Amino acid sequence: MKRDRLSPLVTVLLLIGAAIMLAPMLWTLLLSFKSNAALMADSGSAFAPPWTLENYAAILKGSLTTRWLLNSLIVASGATIGVLVLSSLAGYGFARLEFPFRRTLFVIVLLGLAVPEQAVILPRHQLFAWAGLHNTYPGLILPSLTGSFGVFFMTQYFRAIPKELDEAALLDGASRFTLFRKVLLPLTIPAQATLGVFTFLAAWNDYWWPLISATTSDYFTLTVGLASAQMNYAQTSGLGFLMAQAVFASIPILVVYIAFQKQIVRAMAGTAVR
Amino acid sequence: MSGLELIDVSKSYGATRVLDGVSLAIGAGEFVAFLGPSGSGKSTLLRIIAGLESLDAGEVWLGGERIDGLAPGARGIAMVFQHYALYPHMTVRENMAFGLVNAGVPKDEIARRIAQAAETLEIATQLDKKPGQMSGGQRQRVAIGRAIVKKPKLFLLDEPLSNLDAALRGRTRVELAQLRTRVDAALVMVTHDQSEAMTLADRIVVMNDRRIQQVGTPAEVYARPANAFVAGFVGSPAMAMLPARVAGHDGARVRIGLPCGADLPTAIPAAAGLEEGAPVTLGLRAEHVTLAPPATPGLPARIDLVERLGDRTYLYARLSDGSEIIAHAPGFSAVRPGEAVTLAVDAAAAHVFTADGTAHHPGPRA
Amino acid sequence: MTGAARRDGWVGYAFVGPFLLVYAAILIVPLLMGLWISLNNADLFGRREWVGLANYAQALGDPVLGQAFANTLTLTLLIVPPLTVIALLLALALNRATRLAAILRGVFFSSLVLSVTIVTLIWRFILTPDAGLVAVGLGALGRAPVPFLSDPAYVIPALAVTTLWWSLGFPIMLFLAGLQQVPHDIYEAAALDGAGRWTVFRRITLPSIRRTLLLVVMLQTAAQLQIFGQAQLLTGGGPGGASRTIVLYIFEVSFGRWELGYATAIAELLFGMILAVTLLQYWLVIRHEEQRA
Repeated sequence: MKRDRLSPLVTVLLLIGAAIMLAPMLWTLLLSFKSNAALMADSGSAFAPPWTLENYAAILKGSLTTRWLLNSLIVASGATIGVLVLSSLAGYGFARLEFPFRRTLFVIVLLGLAVPEQAVILPRHQLFAWAGLHNTYPGLILPSLTGSFGVFFMTQYFRAIPKELDEAALLDGASRFTLFRKVLLPLTIPAQATLGVFTFLAAWNDYWWPLISATTSDYFTLTVGLASAQMNYAQTSGLGFLMAQAVFASIPILVVYIAFQKQIVRAMAGTAVR
Repeated sequence: MSGLELIDVSKSYGATRVLDGVSLAIGAGEFVAFLGPSGSGKSTLLRIIAGLESLDAGEVWLGGERIDGLAPGARGIAMVFQHYALYPHMTVRENMAFGLVNAGVPKDEIARRIAQAAETLEIATQLDKKPGQMSGGQRQRVAIGRAIVKKPKLFLLDEPLSNLDAALRGRTRVELAQLRTRVDAALVMVTHDQSEAMTLADRIVVMNDRRIQQVGTPAEVYARPANAFVAGFVGSPAMAMLPARVAGHDGARVRIGLPCGADLPTAIPAAAGLEEGAPVTLGLRAEHVTLAPPATPGLPARIDLVERLGDRTYLYARLSDGSEIIAHAPGFSAVRPGEAVTLAVDAAAAHVFTADGTAHHPGPRA
Repeated sequence: MTGAARRDGWVGYAFVGPFLLVYAAILIVPLLMGLWISLNNADLFGRREWVGLANYAQALGDPVLGQAFANTLTLTLLIVPPLTVIALLLALALNRATRLAAILRGVFFSSLVLSVTIVTLIWRFILTPDAGLVAVGLGALGRAPVPFLSDPAYVIPALAVTTLWWSLGFPIMLFLAGLQQVPHDIYEAAALDGAGRWTVFRRITLPSIRRTLLLVVMLQTAAQLQIFGQAQLLTGGGPGGASRTIVLYIFEVSFGRWELGYATAIAELLFGMILAVTLLQYWLVIRHEEQRA
């Protein structure tokens, strides 16, 4: 990275750009603190007091929003844990063990990177209907576990660990599984964090699959629930409430973003290095 | 024989043969160095002994037990890796305990062994540090400690000094020399550095081109190299190799003629392959070539390079026909590159190698 | 492979097996099922009737799909080039170790963590004519509000702007990662050679991040060809299909009209198109690199 400072012109342009990025979010935040009635009269009133917490109170009191939040947490956490476990195991296997058809299988897994969701989502919907998995948590979680990226990412990470460590552990009498769990796995914690945050974000924000798999509102994730709310409300009748929902739904993900910004950037950057 | 025994070990990677019928016996408590250039097979041999590589044919025995079918951890072998291979996420104590825990050694016994090893290696105060917080020399001692606590029957050291800077190298050499007094085990060290092997080992196994070239004490390997390869590889500076011809025989001794016209009476007994006129290579160590005092006969040469070591000086020179030779002079020689000199050769100490690499050494002085 | 590894035999399957099982059941099986379903007159409830390539023939003659195709292509062209250029410029400006740059990076990355639902929710009430932020701003200037989401002339650009705002963070990250891979001494050498800023950018920076550039364009093209949520949520494809995208049409055909076979055929065509475009972009860049080498 360069150390020199930005020129004044570039700085001004960047600040304008940043304002454009932030304005929609701040607008949403302002609207969420206004009563629906006040916004009905004039949404411009959002710029001035009185502000209120009534929309947030309404969310916590009655609506399904908290249930959707719980669903999203379950689905995103389940996907994250599942991807971490499967990818670590497979990554170690592909990076370190020799077994029949290893290369062929790895290529087949890599090809998965090129398959867009559209190519599988409708038949998968059929398959899950047949298996009775719609409107269940496993039904919402399982599709996230097919991602090739995690396996690829972990394989690369395991490969970068010096093989001398494996050999030292083998001479220390460690079994393949002890070697994996006690020696190598602890060394992949940075990669686990990166992949975990990445998976959590993707699962949390997924829209297409939960939209068609969860059809009863009890199993909506926040993303789908908010979409249904968005479609059901007449445009401004519940504007403040709707915006409060948006803010409420964004809080967990913004917390994750701020807490793990380094890992997120590294995860994204990781895709560039491949 | 309770030490290590290799019987006819062979190994290939696909079509590439890396070891070809290697047999060797090492006594319990002996310190042996595998010496050779990279690609000679010495590291593969070490890894086969450790169980990190499989062998295609042959047997490995340790302490009267055949071990080539056993898992690496079941062989009673400990290894100090080139880059130490310490577990970065474990403390020094955990690093040392790992193998013992896997082997089911009782807790108090583990603690006792670690305390003892840490004491002798002077790392007792470092036990709760992680390897990343330690210097290279300390890490090496931890690696040695991790091997010691296992009380192995055989110690393997893979290029133990190559990773250290010059200052640490000297100190660690002393430590490795002490190591053998501390452990009740045979030691095998792999190195490409002949001076390490000469300093530390009881016996040197010189390897090249998939095979053992010579097994012997440092003195034997240095004074009576088995072939031209060993002669050129062991000793610093390397033995000069001059193209030559058998000029004739003085009684039972061979006389050698050089292309520059010189005629040298050696102390080498006549033998098959040394008939008059046979093309040979004359091997001369620098300590047997000196500057001739003024007005004495010798070989005219021109100096290429002067290497002044303080107590002595090596002179890299060229004879009139262009063949390279190395001479030595005591102290700080004033000779300069480009200068023409006359060299005196102690022909009685010369070695001769026939075209197939067979070595002929000076016989007992007549 | 080492001998120790060779002794593993089938042990490896204990490690890769769980993933392979999920991968086969939930990715490979549906992928093959899709090919088969697309050759059938199928509905959502299990009816199957073999029709061969009829679904594909129908797709090629479907004017609604034609319009959706054109909309999707327009959106892709309106989004990918500006996105790439803006992201590259921002990355170049933000690739420095000052505090301000770090804060601004955080700001420009922030929108990418939002879900499509939140993004559309936010933008709906920015663009909506009677109460949106833009309308409030125009009103303050004494101008009439513009019905961005219901005027066929504005709806595609409106979707493009929304998507640009949402998608900016990821390409910036990729470019920053790419820029940091460029060895520093090249720049120092260029400075010693007296190269100007523009020359340095064109002759050193740009060639060095060629692969990142390719990756950004490839990923974004593939993503925008599958654009769905924004159109479905903001406009429902309206007005009059003016913003219907291919994936939105797939969604309508399958879950609105229940014509699963036909929807799957369209999905297969889209899959083929994405694959072809990706390979073409890759081939163009790689061929170019080989010519230079």
